[in-house]
Amino acid sequence: MGGQTLARRSGVERGGVAVQHYLDVMVSILPFLWTGFVQTFWISLVAIAAGSVLGFLIGVVRSQRVPLLHQLFGLYIHVLRGTPFLVQLYVFYFVMPNTGIEVLQWSSETAAFVSLSVYTSSYVAEIVMAAIDAVPKGQWEAATALGLRRLPILGLVVLPQALKLAVPPMSGVYVNIIKNTAILSVIGISELTRQGEISIMRFPRDVLFIYGAIALVYFVYCYPVLRFTRWAERKVGGTRVVNLD
Amino acid sequence: MNWVLDFYNYRIVEQYLGRFAEGLENTLIAAAVSLGAAVILGTMLALCRMSSRAILWRPAAGYAAFILATPLLVQIYLIYYGLPALIPAAGRWSELTLGIIALSLHNAAYMGEIVRGGIASVPRGQIEGGKAVGMSYLQRLRYIVLPQAFANTLPPLLGQTAVLIKDTSLLSIIAVFDFLSAGLLLNSERVRPNESFLTIALGYLAIYVVMLSLSWAVKRWLAGPAWNVGA
Repeated sequence: MGGQTLARRSGVERGGVAVQHYLDVMVSILPFLWTGFVQTFWISLVAIAAGSVLGFLIGVVRSQRVPLLHQLFGLYIHVLRGTPFLVQLYVFYFVMPNTGIEVLQWSSETAAFVSLSVYTSSYVAEIVMAAIDAVPKGQWEAATALGLRRLPILGLVVLPQALKLAVPPMSGVYVNIIKNTAILSVIGISELTRQGEISIMRFPRDVLFIYGAIALVYFVYCYPVLRFTRWAERKVGGTRVVNLD
Repeated sequence: MNWVLDFYNYRIVEQYLGRFAEGLENTLIAAAVSLGAAVILGTMLALCRMSSRAILWRPAAGYAAFILATPLLVQIYLIYYGLPALIPAAGRWSELTLGIIALSLHNAAYMGEIVRGGIASVPRGQIEGGKAVGMSYLQRLRYIVLPQAFANTLPPLLGQTAVLIKDTSLLSIIAVFDFLSAGLLLNSERVRPNESFLTIALGYLAIYVVMLSLSWAVKRWLAGPAWNVGA
């Protein structure tokens, strides 16, 4: 009530009243933004973890150039990179339940989680493969000469070096994933952007202010990761292992 | 053949071909216009970014950080709802126009990074050589830096263009009738998710394949196959 009358007055009066009004709006939307941020944080974290594990496995398999598997996973990556995330989300949300298979009758949370993880995996797989390829051939040859087999070479010699190279592009992907969680709002996941939309229903005149506040929260979350990416790039020696897009 | 029609009834898609074409047209218009605008804005942003004057590079760096660290969807909302509040006339602009503005402003930051990388890749000696023969800043830019930067910029620029085309799908959320909206329309009228979303996915994949072949062709055209093998 108080916010409403203030909102009406702020068009006429300026200065202190406007500041007071924005403070009021901020105080009343803060709990929503916090709930939204916590949700965004968890979704992004879980999707990053699951997507990285999946992508890591695919990347390692692809780096070994096993004839059929290599092409198959290559197709998987191209399909995921060739379509917008929004379309993938719709496919997981609408098409999967339509198959009539019991296991695929997903809730919106599951569809969101699966689509984001699968999307993440396509980027991680490319990075892991490029990083493994970037380890000099001599490392393989020396390890073979010492009598190691393929898996010990991978685990003990190549991967420890490759993962270091993968850190900068991986953190770049993480920024991308955090930003993509905003798209999940269209299927009703109550993350940050969705919470903002709910707040806007209460304060329809302050759309710009509320979206600005949401953008600020995303910025506070993403910018440190972005800075870390830059720092890691310099640290690793400026070698961009893979072109992100 | 019955199971094919059960899973994917192409006759329904045929009925909607006109709507899909209409959507595709809007998608391509949005992508083309915002690509052009983003390259121009991005080049200016890159030049500001590389300037030694704080009044030029600080705002440019801040702008790039803001764009890179916030979701495109939120930026689209900010432009779609926010611009009419700042410029009253913008309230009468179409969703497509506002969407194009948002996409241009978003991609300008990415294009700026790409152009900056391209300019930084031009060896310093080239610029010093230009200075030594008495060229002005603009002449050095026009005859020495930009032509070389262009060649180093084109491959990542094509990659970003592919991303830009995919990003236009977000305009469906602010009621632009793009390619994705045509599928959403089919789904809401016929309740056939397979026909609508799989068709869209295939359409975007087709565009992606075209972009991929284009980028291979450009890589070959720029330096010839020998250079690519040598790298």
